[in-house]
Amino acid sequence: MASYAIITETEPPACAAMLSKIRDRLFRQDSRRARFEQAVLPHLDAAWDLARWLTRNDQDAEDVVQTASLRALQFFDGFQGGNARAWLLTIVRNAFYSWLQQRHRGHEIADPFDEEIHSRAESGLADPEAELLRQADSRLLRQGFESLPLPYREVMVLRELEGLSYKEIAAIAGIPIGTVMSRLARARRHLQDFLIAHGVKEGRR
Amino acid sequence: MSCPHTEQELTAYLDGELELTSALTFERHLEECTDCARALAAQRALREAIGAAGLRYRPTPAQTRRLRRAATAEPAAPGWPSWRGLQAIAAIAGLLLVAVASWSLGRVWPPRSAPDLAEQVVSSHVRSLLAGHPADVASTDQHTVKPWFTGKLDYSPTVVDLAEKGFPLAGGRLDYLGNHPVAALIYRADRHVINLFTWPAAYTPDGSGPEPAASTRQGFHILHWTQGGMTWWAVSDASEDRLRELARRLGAAN
Repeated sequence: MASYAIITETEPPACAAMLSKIRDRLFRQDSRRARFEQAVLPHLDAAWDLARWLTRNDQDAEDVVQTASLRALQFFDGFQGGNARAWLLTIVRNAFYSWLQQRHRGHEIADPFDEEIHSRAESGLADPEAELLRQADSRLLRQGFESLPLPYREVMVLRELEGLSYKEIAAIAGIPIGTVMSRLARARRHLQDFLIAHGVKEGRR
Repeated sequence: MSCPHTEQELTAYLDGELELTSALTFERHLEECTDCARALAAQRALREAIGAAGLRYRPTPAQTRRLRRAATAEPAAPGWPSWRGLQAIAAIAGLLLVAVASWSLGRVWPPRSAPDLAEQVVSSHVRSLLAGHPADVASTDQHTVKPWFTGKLDYSPTVVDLAEKGFPLAGGRLDYLGNHPVAALIYRADRHVINLFTWPAAYTPDGSGPEPAASTRQGFHILHWTQGGMTWWAVSDASEDRLRELARRLGAAN
């Protein structure tokens, strides 16, 4: 009898406290997961595009995005809300550079511009050349993008294909806005020269 | 270039990233300097070619499935669970029961404040992307999409195909925003999905005008304006420039 009395007296508060703790915990997990999916899943396409352009092949792009997803989940508590796309792309980019370091020990980073092409700049563009550029063959344009050294390729992809602002690109690549600007200017100059040097349309020249 | 304005300035001008005063100075300069004007024309042409070339990579459906799995799966526990593991599973099953019970409570309490419209618009956009099929009626034909809404809404949304202007129509969807059933039109731009919502301005009077106002949420660009008695919301991860262009094209088409 005595023990029954004790149980009824002590159990309800203890039990309620435990249940509410469990509930809190489960909910936190649950809502964290939901917030993570809401933040990250819509930007997987952007993540893929960046990774694919950086790694230049499907298999490695998939590895990089998967690694990035895991890291994103791991560091999600540090995400303050706001620009989820820029946040995810930053992680993708970092995942790519760690991957690159392991694989190639950073060879590609040092890729110089193809100076042969680049040195024919400053010749001034005639108006018909603008017209030619407008009709550039898409396969040649893709080759032009691929011929850009990494630091230039990534800012061009983020700006031209993902439509990010200079400020967002600067945050993702960890460089000043002025550097974003100068890299874009140089990359575009290189692309123009590349297209004109290759006859703009495939098969020409 | 043999003038004080650098190629970088030109590039920033092209991207709409110069501050207003610098942009105005540069525009005045463009009228005088043929070198800069020509270089700008070439850069514009290059950008158009890039826009038309569809360079953005998209994962295949199989790749998307794998990426989503990686982004949503908990790290797998290796091996067959031990006795302790089974105990843990039993405990978890018990907890789940409790969770489900309290979840139903948590659904209604505490009450959450109603999210504002911009947030609803972005959420709807995100949901449509997560579902993988943003359109209830998938068609590039405005004469299929527009009649589809008949009987589902008490207004008739304007539907125009802008494929020739770089914004192909991809379909339409019925959505529920601002406590009203509304039309969502899906457009594409360089492989980005744009959700365009439109409903009578009287549903949600907010004093917005014909000049599109831009904002950003969760990395998505939002454009909002009111014109011809209809209110418009465009949301996408395409650039703000592209959204503004879409708004311009719609304005011209209406």
